[in-house]
Amino acid sequence: MKNKLYIGLLIIAFIFQGSFLRVEAAKQFDYKSPEFKAVAQQFACTCGCGQDHYECDPNTCNLTTEFKADLVGMMNKGWDKDKIRAYYVNIYGEEILTSPEKSGFSLTAWVLPFVVLGVAGIAVFFIIRKWVKKKGTDEPVAECQNTEDEVEGEILSSMIDEERKKYL
Amino acid sequence: MYLFANATIYIGLAVAIYSLLIITLGISTKNQKFVNSGKGGLIALLVCSSFAMLSLFYLLATSQFQYEYVHDYTSSELPVIYKLTALWAGNAGSLLLWTFFLTLYSFMIAFSRKLKGNPMVPYISAILLANAVFFFFILGFVAKPFILLNEIPIEGKGLNPMLQNPGMIIHPVTLYLGYVGLAIPFAFAMAALILKNVDDFWIKMTRRWTIIAWLFLSLGNIFGGQWAYVELGWGGYWAWDPVENASFMPWLTATAFLHSVMIQERKNMLKIWNISLIIVSYALTLFGTFLVRSGVLTSVHAFANSNLGLYFLIFMGVAVIGALYVLMSRYNLLKRSAGEFNSFVSKESSFLVNNLLLVGAAFAVFWGTIFPLVSEAVRGTKVTVGLPFFNKVEAPILLSMMFVMAVCPMLAWQKSTVKNLQKNFMIPAILAVIGMILMVVLGIQKAWAVIGYGVIILLLITHFLEFYRGVKARRKMTKETPLVALYRLMIRNRRRYGGYIVHLGIAFITMGIIGSQNYDLETMKTVDLGQSIELKDYRINYDRLDQKKEGINDIVYADVTVFRNGKKLGTYQPEKVFYGNWEQPSSEVAIISSLKEDLYIVLSAWEDDGKATFVVKVNPMMNWLWIGSFMIVIGALFAVWNGKYGNVTPRYTGVRREVS
Repeated sequence: MKNKLYIGLLIIAFIFQGSFLRVEAAKQFDYKSPEFKAVAQQFACTCGCGQDHYECDPNTCNLTTEFKADLVGMMNKGWDKDKIRAYYVNIYGEEILTSPEKSGFSLTAWVLPFVVLGVAGIAVFFIIRKWVKKKGTDEPVAECQNTEDEVEGEILSSMIDEERKKYL
Repeated sequence: MYLFANATIYIGLAVAIYSLLIITLGISTKNQKFVNSGKGGLIALLVCSSFAMLSLFYLLATSQFQYEYVHDYTSSELPVIYKLTALWAGNAGSLLLWTFFLTLYSFMIAFSRKLKGNPMVPYISAILLANAVFFFFILGFVAKPFILLNEIPIEGKGLNPMLQNPGMIIHPVTLYLGYVGLAIPFAFAMAALILKNVDDFWIKMTRRWTIIAWLFLSLGNIFGGQWAYVELGWGGYWAWDPVENASFMPWLTATAFLHSVMIQERKNMLKIWNISLIIVSYALTLFGTFLVRSGVLTSVHAFANSNLGLYFLIFMGVAVIGALYVLMSRYNLLKRSAGEFNSFVSKESSFLVNNLLLVGAAFAVFWGTIFPLVSEAVRGTKVTVGLPFFNKVEAPILLSMMFVMAVCPMLAWQKSTVKNLQKNFMIPAILAVIGMILMVVLGIQKAWAVIGYGVIILLLITHFLEFYRGVKARRKMTKETPLVALYRLMIRNRRRYGGYIVHLGIAFITMGIIGSQNYDLETMKTVDLGQSIELKDYRINYDRLDQKKEGINDIVYADVTVFRNGKKLGTYQPEKVFYGNWEQPSSEVAIISSLKEDLYIVLSAWEDDGKATFVVKVNPMMNWLWIGSFMIVIGALFAVWNGKYGNVTPRYTGVRREVS
């Protein structure tokens, strides 16, 4: 009988172990863990602190306390960061995110710097080519000067300068 | 006092307007007397702004709360040093500081020994005076520093405790010195254009000014980051906040300018580009101020919102349009002297790539900063562009920049041949690859970190080789001991080697950034008295929680004993300070710093039963950031130091006029 009781208790414990652990986890959830960071860093706190919900201090901001708890709740439900992200964007719109979406108009935020860099890079390439060509047709390419000669040349000229200053 | 203080501002405005008019008249009628009168006005302006500064310092130090500014930013129990530094805590005071620096710089230029008799001086003075008119106008009518309150309050509101930190004493000052400093090369460039001087005289003349402005801008950013790290209890140092971006953008373009002028000096090319860069850098300083003071963007650097930003925007618009007009009207003159390149692979080309990346990085920051406004205008949806965006977009650009920086010293001017390249690059490249493989084997496996550190190894080796080859070449001729040769090599070409030291500083900073961004650890735990928190090799024992009073502030602190690998490091006291005259409490963090990493402990919260919540962080390589910053200062100072060698005042060969 006693054994049965133990087994029964064990089974109950087994069935509910998840929720026991969850309760424990919620009590001592590490708001600075990398898992939480990945989720919470996506969302901007709207209390005016200018931080995201990972950085925002729950002691000074009531808003983030609840938000953090909600996030933990969703994480415990097994939602991944993209699902949580979609959930909040659905409610609050894109404004809740700390960085623009990579779709629609907001994609331009991400792409434009690189497009500009690319276009400017091509432009620089053609400009250099133009300058090099111009040189090429004007006269044969000058003798190359390697860095060592250059340094030596500089040192020499500075020494001459020095001597000149001594006597003049 | 009230009359006197206000008089300094309004007389300053009158003098600035008068000087601007008379100097312009002097220029157009070629009357030296008028020009001299205008230059005299610059002295008067400096006197006015100095007295205005002294007045405000005096009012702040003596806690005259009948003045709005004193009442808003100080309180009687504040230490004197913070009473004084409250001068730049608010809008009006900080603009007064700006004005003071502007008049100081203008005075130094107008009466510079090197520029005596130079016909550019009246033009430069006029441009700087136009700036001064704007700032005195702002001080006189928009952000007035000396407003009397209707009744005399017994106590002031106090200074934001966040600003009561040594970093905050110096951060705004350096930043403003940098901002204002960029007005000088701008004024020189404009003066040269107006006078149709298309040689590089203005560049050589302002090189030192530009480097100094650049140094101050760098310092401003570094002190800001350092302050954020120790004061905000957040463990970071750079948040890509709009205001930080506002000071980072001119830094990037000024850096590009410092490099591309070398091509103008050597090859007489890129004139239009250089002038555009200096216009952009100058405009960005004003744009930054517009962002900070207008409240169009949410920022942690909240200055009281006002229409002040609008004035800056208008002034910036006028300045940029004026500058572009002058540039366009001289376009043919500038274009005529275009030179040529010898090869695709040369130092010249690498400087162009460097410019491309720096300006590209500046554009990316700019775009990200204004994107919320763009999005709102286009779609009506406000978006936030924060840290993840900038980190992702800037990291590849700035890393490519580091690569160019690593490669550039090894490239020859004119042309590098394949043989040359092989000879110069084979060893550094192999060593860098070996370094990267070693990192992967030793457990550093994050892609960014491996690539980043690989590039830095390359950079360190190529820079070392630069020094090594220079010393070798020198010794071949002079038979000096290596150290003497190194010393003489460096002081005879301060600019070049100063620049290399700055490069090394940047490399150190980058190492710190990569380390602290990729390998930081963090935990937040609530523990009972006597319990401990473990993170990495550290164990933090929570021994005691207590309260003390310091002046009007209440401080709650925890005693924690820190062990590393079982060895006791000491007892530390993270605190939470509750201010008598400020709502928000702030955290005084405990930082245990070493070359390898910082342990960063924040007392976050506590309960009546003695339970306390701590945030504990391990930030790797933070000290490398500060060491690198120090090297930047050393390098920049080394480059501008008034040495014996190569310090020839460039000869003015431009247009002669009757007035100077």
